[in-house]
Amino acid sequence: MNSKSPPPLAKLPEPTVEVRLFAALREQAGWDRRRVSLSEGATAALLWPALGLGSGALPSAVRVAVNQVFADPQRPLNPGDELAYLPPISGG
Amino acid sequence: MSWPTCRRSVVAEPGGPVNLRIDLHSQAFEPLRCLEQWQRSLSGQDHAGSAAESLFIGRVRAEAAAGGALVALELEHYPGMTERQLHHLASDCCARHGVSSCLVQHRIGRVLPGEAIVLVAIGADRRGPAQRCCQELLEALKHEAPFWKREWHADGSSAWITGNTAL
Repeated sequence: MNSKSPPPLAKLPEPTVEVRLFAALREQAGWDRRRVSLSEGATAALLWPALGLGSGALPSAVRVAVNQVFADPQRPLNPGDELAYLPPISGG
Repeated sequence: MSWPTCRRSVVAEPGGPVNLRIDLHSQAFEPLRCLEQWQRSLSGQDHAGSAAESLFIGRVRAEAAAGGALVALELEHYPGMTERQLHHLASDCCARHGVSSCLVQHRIGRVLPGEAIVLVAIGADRRGPAQRCCQELLEALKHEAPFWKREWHADGSSAWITGNTAL
């Protein structure tokens, strides 16, 4: 019988997402990017109040991009995602 | 004149290949020189001259949205996503209208009154598709490409613009 204790498990990296803010949202929040822990089932809509970006639900005027593509705010996020909150767009 | 961030491509579409070029300029650009260079570039690729061309040049107004003098407009973008979204919008619009060439030039950074902020040039076989594609693409990039404008006023204050000017 092997009395040696098993080697300790390597610590897995904590799942995170990178959150980015632009224009007026960035200035209101006072930061432009932040890496945050990702809990299971987290979405852009759930993270909005959790990050202190607003007291209520995600405003309809704020759009969401995940990995630089427009996305549904209710879509579950994956570890390593880049999540951006986009204030009203005014190009051209 | 140099092309700052080359996004030139020939996109295969059901109606035939589309010559597509998109650039973001961090410094002032001269739309007519861009057009001249674009035409030369197309000729050099055996692109038959388009029978119909539709152009739009947008310049910064000297008045702020709420009245008063505008000192400058600041254009912020989302590096990476803005370029990708412009390419997606242009490819999609060109395919829908069956046009043959598309040039989009857009400013970023600090833009002064009178300076060009956007240039869209569409080449097609007929005026209808050329004009419709030009207008539709312009509206799409105003609402669907991540750009944000901030007005700078004479008293040093500034304000983010939350909508687009009337059509």
